[in-house]
Amino acid sequence: MRDRPSGFANPWLQLALSVLCVFVSELLLKRGASDTANPAQAWSWTGVTGLASPLVWLGIIFVIISFISWLYVLRYIPLTIAFPLSRVVDILVPLGCWFFLGEAISTRRWCGIALVVIGLAVTAKPVARLEERL
Amino acid sequence: MTLLSLVLILLALLTFVGGQLILKRAMESTVVHGLRQSRFIALLGCGIFLMTISFFLTLGLLQRFDLSYLYPFQGLSVIIISVMAAVMLKEKLTLQLTIGALLITAGVVLVSLS
Repeated sequence: MRDRPSGFANPWLQLALSVLCVFVSELLLKRGASDTANPAQAWSWTGVTGLASPLVWLGIIFVIISFISWLYVLRYIPLTIAFPLSRVVDILVPLGCWFFLGEAISTRRWCGIALVVIGLAVTAKPVARLEERL
Repeated sequence: MTLLSLVLILLALLTFVGGQLILKRAMESTVVHGLRQSRFIALLGCGIFLMTISFFLTLGLLQRFDLSYLYPFQGLSVIIISVMAAVMLKEKLTLQLTIGALLITAGVVLVSLS
């Protein structure tokens, strides 16, 4: 494997950037999709009716940014490590709703978040060994 | 939930997983051969095509269901991609990575159920 770039080109930094953009895009897309929801409309099952919302377009921009940095990540990090780590977004979304929107988080949800954090820690541990090898 | 929505959810999941695997292949080929090669362009186009289908199917599903309802299916993608990457891309899936993927999947499902 070629030398791993540092600074902004560091694949781990790009992974974090990708996750952050997915997080922002998910909130934007959900808001935009809800604003334009009209199941009676023809073609609504394809999702294209969501394009009527500017929030969806903004969401798409974030999707594209996350996609480009994700492609870059794929070049350097095995999928079995990068993909599970990218699911940190699954706890960022509920935490973001709690922090920014003041939504309540139940005990069961906290347990789920804890499980994901433990899973991420277990997954990230081989990363240290991977870094040594590179 | 109707049969159609179940089919759409599974289709969104399958196109997403397939797209990820193909994109990984595409980017791996650039390490040795660079960006200007037909194999890379073909794989990238194929991957983007699948991800686009998955994107619009998910958008359509979001118009019908809560994000929290669709989450367990996204959570499943962790374990499916880990297994598929090991089988099809010959990546090493250690016991530790398997346990990590299972914990994340369980956690995501639990978060969405509450």
